[in-house]
Amino acid sequence: MRRSFKHAALAVIVAGAVALTGCGSDSGSGDDTSGGSTSAPAVSIAKIGIAAPEKGNDYGWNQQGVDGAKAAAANLGAEIEVADGVGYDNVEPVLRRLAQQDSKLIIAQASGYNTVAPKVAAQFKVPTLVYDSPSATKAGEVADVETSSQQGAYLAGILAAKTTKTGTLGIVVSAADTNWFKMAGGFAAGAKSVKADVKFKMAQVGQAAYADSAGGKRVTAQVIAAGADIVFGMGDGASFGMLQAVETAKAPAGADKVYFIDVIGDKSPIDKKDVLLSSVLWDFTKVFEQAAADIGAGTFGSTGYEINVTNGISLLKTDLAPEDVWAEVDDAQAKIASGEIEVPLTPDQAAVDALIK
Amino acid sequence: MSEIFTTDVLTALLAGGILAGVPLLFAALGEMVAERAGVLNIGLEGYMLMGAYVGFVTAYHTNTFLGFLGGAAAGAAVSLIMVVLCIRLGLDQIVVGIAITLAAEGATALIFDSQFAESRPTLGATERIDIPGLSQIPVVGGGDTSDGSVFSQPPIVYIGLAIVVGTAWTMRRTHWGLNIRAAGDKPSALDAAGVSVLGTRTWATLFCGAMAGMGGAYLSITAAGLFEDFITQGRGFIAIVLAMLARGKGAWVLIGAFVFGISLSISDALQIAGVDISTDLVFMLPFVTVIAVLVVFGRRSYLPAALALPYVRGAR
Repeated sequence: MRRSFKHAALAVIVAGAVALTGCGSDSGSGDDTSGGSTSAPAVSIAKIGIAAPEKGNDYGWNQQGVDGAKAAAANLGAEIEVADGVGYDNVEPVLRRLAQQDSKLIIAQASGYNTVAPKVAAQFKVPTLVYDSPSATKAGEVADVETSSQQGAYLAGILAAKTTKTGTLGIVVSAADTNWFKMAGGFAAGAKSVKADVKFKMAQVGQAAYADSAGGKRVTAQVIAAGADIVFGMGDGASFGMLQAVETAKAPAGADKVYFIDVIGDKSPIDKKDVLLSSVLWDFTKVFEQAAADIGAGTFGSTGYEINVTNGISLLKTDLAPEDVWAEVDDAQAKIASGEIEVPLTPDQAAVDALIK
Repeated sequence: MSEIFTTDVLTALLAGGILAGVPLLFAALGEMVAERAGVLNIGLEGYMLMGAYVGFVTAYHTNTFLGFLGGAAAGAAVSLIMVVLCIRLGLDQIVVGIAITLAAEGATALIFDSQFAESRPTLGATERIDIPGLSQIPVVGGGDTSDGSVFSQPPIVYIGLAIVVGTAWTMRRTHWGLNIRAAGDKPSALDAAGVSVLGTRTWATLFCGAMAGMGGAYLSITAAGLFEDFITQGRGFIAIVLAMLARGKGAWVLIGAFVFGISLSISDALQIAGVDISTDLVFMLPFVTVIAVLVVFGRRSYLPAALALPYVRGAR
């Protein structure tokens, strides 16, 4: 009896290990959707594959990537294969499978894939998009995508500075992340461009607290207590906690309500208390379509791609944004696009500090 | 810098410290009892995660009180795996603990996303009890603020403090406490006295699971007001360290948890104040402070001799 009990216990452990393997790898495979051919450009690409570290419904980076790939595939009349929730530990088999299943363009939707993705691209000769790794660019195999997210954040800064009643803006980041710092700097520059005496209260939740929603709430609550009535939050999962802090906060003196500005995705569907003032949206569709076009033209990998206010970075317009302020936002967006406004690049904390202090 | 010393900011600092400290308090208290009985729960993170998930879902569908009960029950249920595999079957406590953490991480993410990935529900602010008179004291009162302060907290915080006192008393003054300590220090002597070592360790581990589950539920219901994949973010492991540094003293668990929480909150405040210190150093503050406090003041305590060792009657 005791022996069989031990065997049963071992079976439980093995089953657990198998289940874990399943959870940690390709949980999103098989999400095949034939793209409906609409006004497809003169590019023929049979299939696009995308691998994303988290699930494609996170209201953030992964969702924007997956949605962009699906939209691009639909516009190009291509099939799409989504492998989301891949994580970072066991990426190579997933990318290999995407290549072996005839993907003609693979999108490696995480800078954490920058070591593995070029290797798989070289092995299978499949054009692959990577992020923030210009040195990986190789003709026909690898092209790099850079984000000028600071441009969208600049617009958010204008909106915030024109909307704040306390004159103090909060900036909360979940981690020491280059993209977060770039946007924090853009936000500060945009706010200062229309209100020179605006004050900033900035805090970081942790070194890599992307999913720390409790930490996001704690830090945001303190930023609000320090006088911020608008919080610009960058956090992935932690941003849900930031939003929660804004929803439950007591408004600081001088303000009647606290508002939140999000990044990358659109959290409007879950904004139950009407506190989401805006969001710096990243739409990758046009970049993916351009990559497909370059594959068709035989020029893929000869240059990198940049997502900016002309092709995918924008500011979410909500009912909370005053119309007159929005006109200024539109004007600034046009000036950024034309080069009349040059948004400063702040890739680290020191550069952000120089702007906000 | 001076604007950081306003009543609102200092109140928020204390509230943040309590929010950060309470989950650690529950989990570390449970782990302390289990360690005294000779069981090392590396899977504490897993108990917390399951408690956070079940607590959140229960609170979402019913009420906060049942949410905390559900979280405690879920944590205890997961700790049953530890009971069966390690205490009853004698498997390695560290290996099983790691498996529990990983399995809970995957399972909670899978189940939560299958239910709520699109809707992402949240809970409102948890109702608090204001201590009459004291809750109106500036900074420590917190009666009219969004997150309270020392004298305006949800009932679960006061219950947690009562559990700390009760546990410390039980461990020092009762036969149960003596049995638990004997199970960790000299299990063969306990066995010779006619008390079941495995039974004692089982109850200690279930208590640990329930407390960790309660800590996880606090995290999702009160501290965050929502559930997120891997919401515990390593707090279970911090609680294990706290329990080890407290070395069997309930009061030191309490002090360690709140020193850590307040230090974390101070590190936030330093950033908000714009103090020109590297964030690398700022984020070290809670860990350095807790280690310093507990090593300096708690050094006369000790770890049980039979910690993490399976008990086999007659084995040497």
